[in-house]
Amino acid sequence: MADKAVSEEASMDGQAPKPTSIPVTDNTVWADASPLLDAACIGLRYGELIHGDNFNLFAAMSALEIMDPKMDSGIVCRYYSIDEAIENGAAPVPISLDSTIDVQCTIDIMDHLLACEAAWHKGHSLAQTVFSCIYLLRLDRTASHALLHSYGRVIRATCKAVLSVVSDARTHEEEDLFTMTYGLPLNGDGDEKCLSMLNAVEETISRQLRACKATSSKRRVSEDLEPLQYNPNLEEGFCKALLCRLRFRKHFFHVLTCMKRPQGRGLELARKHIASCISELEFILKSAEFLQSCSGESCEDDIDDKTTASGREPIGFDASLNSRLSAPTPPRAIKILSWKKAVEYFVKLLHDLDVICSYSLDPHLENLLRFVVQFQKSQPDLVARSHLQLLLVQDGKLYGRDPIFAVITKAAALPEATKNHDIQKNESILQLGQCYYILQLVMNLLKILCTNAAWQRRKLGKILQDWRVIYLQNICMKIFQHILIWVEEQTYWIACRFLMLGFELELYSASEYCMVYWYSYAVLIKLAEKTHLKMAVSYDTAKRKGKKKRDSPKDLVRESRIPPAVLFLQCYICLAEGLTMMLAALRNEFMILQSPSPFNTEQEKFVQHFELLQRACIPDHASYLSFKESTTHARFSTLVMYNYFKDAQRIAKEVKSSFSNDPDRLAELRKLEQVAEHNSVALNLICRLGALDPSLKVSFEFSHHPFFATAVVRRS
Amino acid sequence: MDASSEEKAEFEGEEIEYLSYGGEHHLPLIMSLVDQELSEPYSIFTYRYFVYLWPQLSFLAFHKGKCVGTVVCKMGEHRNTFRGYIAMLVVIKPYRGRGIATELVTRSIRMMMESGCEEVTLEAEVTNKGALALYGRLGFIRAKRLFHYYLNGVDAFRLKLLFPRQELHFSGPMMTNTDASHEHTDLDNT
Repeated sequence: MADKAVSEEASMDGQAPKPTSIPVTDNTVWADASPLLDAACIGLRYGELIHGDNFNLFAAMSALEIMDPKMDSGIVCRYYSIDEAIENGAAPVPISLDSTIDVQCTIDIMDHLLACEAAWHKGHSLAQTVFSCIYLLRLDRTASHALLHSYGRVIRATCKAVLSVVSDARTHEEEDLFTMTYGLPLNGDGDEKCLSMLNAVEETISRQLRACKATSSKRRVSEDLEPLQYNPNLEEGFCKALLCRLRFRKHFFHVLTCMKRPQGRGLELARKHIASCISELEFILKSAEFLQSCSGESCEDDIDDKTTASGREPIGFDASLNSRLSAPTPPRAIKILSWKKAVEYFVKLLHDLDVICSYSLDPHLENLLRFVVQFQKSQPDLVARSHLQLLLVQDGKLYGRDPIFAVITKAAALPEATKNHDIQKNESILQLGQCYYILQLVMNLLKILCTNAAWQRRKLGKILQDWRVIYLQNICMKIFQHILIWVEEQTYWIACRFLMLGFELELYSASEYCMVYWYSYAVLIKLAEKTHLKMAVSYDTAKRKGKKKRDSPKDLVRESRIPPAVLFLQCYICLAEGLTMMLAALRNEFMILQSPSPFNTEQEKFVQHFELLQRACIPDHASYLSFKESTTHARFSTLVMYNYFKDAQRIAKEVKSSFSNDPDRLAELRKLEQVAEHNSVALNLICRLGALDPSLKVSFEFSHHPFFATAVVRRS
Repeated sequence: MDASSEEKAEFEGEEIEYLSYGGEHHLPLIMSLVDQELSEPYSIFTYRYFVYLWPQLSFLAFHKGKCVGTVVCKMGEHRNTFRGYIAMLVVIKPYRGRGIATELVTRSIRMMMESGCEEVTLEAEVTNKGALALYGRLGFIRAKRLFHYYLNGVDAFRLKLLFPRQELHFSGPMMTNTDASHEHTDLDNT
């Protein structure tokens, strides 16, 4: 409707349309504000801005968006509405009366749509990507063109499905362009049947492919089948090119449907469809050679930048058409991904989804947290992350299956006998409220861990206080002791992740590494302490609840041995301490890695980096003063004697056997060994040569581990 | 391609003249510099918003009468903190690498400090090594990473400089200070 009004205006030679009266209802009264606006225009002098109590100068200034036709009335567009574009032949149906060209152009449209879809996933608005396609904006027009129509329906249904996953996850704050769709025709009647439409088209083309293959060897032509296009030499190539594109869409839609099924019931089937998608993508890539050869155009150098396999520009797209709608269309033209990059994107997305689908739905929270952290290392995009989040937390249950409270009691190693009713017996309202609060914290934590690293770190920092509050305000009864210890352990785990993500996000400069490792060391010590305590308490309880047997020698040994999980943390602790001291010694003895500033000191940087941790008292007594006290006396001569890196190496070796079935942790231990070894060597080198050789330069690189740096000693 | 604009300009540091924003006659100079060098299109109202409300925070650098650099800033209350914000910083290419940008920013930050700001902030592309190094040397830390902040998909860092607060200060040596850091009256001690 809005488009019609605009085009009427455009054709009426500047005559403003007469305002029609709008009927009064219960809640609304309409008045014509045109005279008021006219008076305001006359009253404003050139260069003046309106501002007022509820509309300050900042708001007024920000409201002016250059090049956005919703705000910038002077901007000139090629077409002022979708209808005008269509009337001028921007999206003809059929695309061409020449059936060969029609097929070629259809394939180009499919390819460009794939590129648009990838660009949308990567963070641009739907209005400027997928819905820059005029055919999609008026899909009913294509009803006579079975290929375009069925393809359009499936794309529309797919976008809608992906959108609903991301919207339901509700953790896309920084990627919010993704879900803004106001004014876009996303809901099509009968889109649920899009797959059957697609199947019909696929069937037709399959038969045509069989027929044209048969024709070449047996010269039999079925009278029912109409060829796709008129050039028999190209028929097979076009059929194949179309089939793999249609099949990819079909399988991809199935993947989304299967993964949506509650409690992970569809994951196994999803994996099969994922495998099909990947193989169809390979066929799509292979079709490029054929499509380029029959495009008749010379092979250009920048074919890799093109958004279609054939290298031609697609017909029927205009990214500026939607700029008058409400859906955000930032005024700058965006660059659609190249077709090759789009295929790469989908391959990666499918692999990430496959990892999710292969997950064993482990009921142990500890293992789940490790899985999510590991998954995030491959830097999955928004769509994959949203799918993971929705799998993990459904209907307030883990995987839609395990009540979160049961998961927590298991994680806290509460004795098996403890059930809900035991908790309810100790019934103070405060304690039940506390339970509920902890449930919310855990669900929130799981959601946060599925978001992009930058946003994740900020949220983790913010929730530290929420977790710490449980400990600080605790009214503890014996039965909650386990949970309390577990909560403390989780709190320090979150703090650790917060600090480590800072390295991944490149938030620290080299002159800040020392304080970061020192703080990490302080947090890791507490984490190890709480983990050990949790295991000791659970073992204690298990022993007491078990039959009164004499302690076998094995039991005694087990008691005194430090659990492997704690040893693992001790390895981290040694590395953190070693790096802290080495960096401190470098500063103390060689004056490097300092960063004097005219406006503030190291203390301000310390306060800023650790503000959220300090506010939550994590840990207690970790102040700038104690940091200085710990590091002022670091010297290489003493470091070589108490070599923390050697300790780390020893522990890593010792604990490897306990994780022989865990490839991820074994890989991690190997990395830690490397870090320890290289740093130990560097330490000795600097100690021996450092004072004597001013040409030695020390830098810190993350060549072996994303969190623990390796010292590299070079001659400048 | 104009060869002369690619060459480095020859000059001594003392030849650069720094002026505080002096009025409407400076506005077209600022606008043309920023339009030329930065990727965001701003309306004239955006520039006026900054220089009319906070003229004391904007500075221009001249070489032999030609405007070669500018910084545009603002300050105000933000969630209970009085904070300065660096909106635009430009030095034309032939004059880069000689400390002009540092000097422009330093003057602005000093003015913010004297006006009672507790901190200064800005955003910079994660790929802008030059800016990150410049602000790092002035004491800014990378407080946050903002995912896909820019429409071309590039992330940004939020950079923040925290001024020392007298009552919390660990008794260590202060770096070169101005008189302003000893004034308690204007600082909001919360």
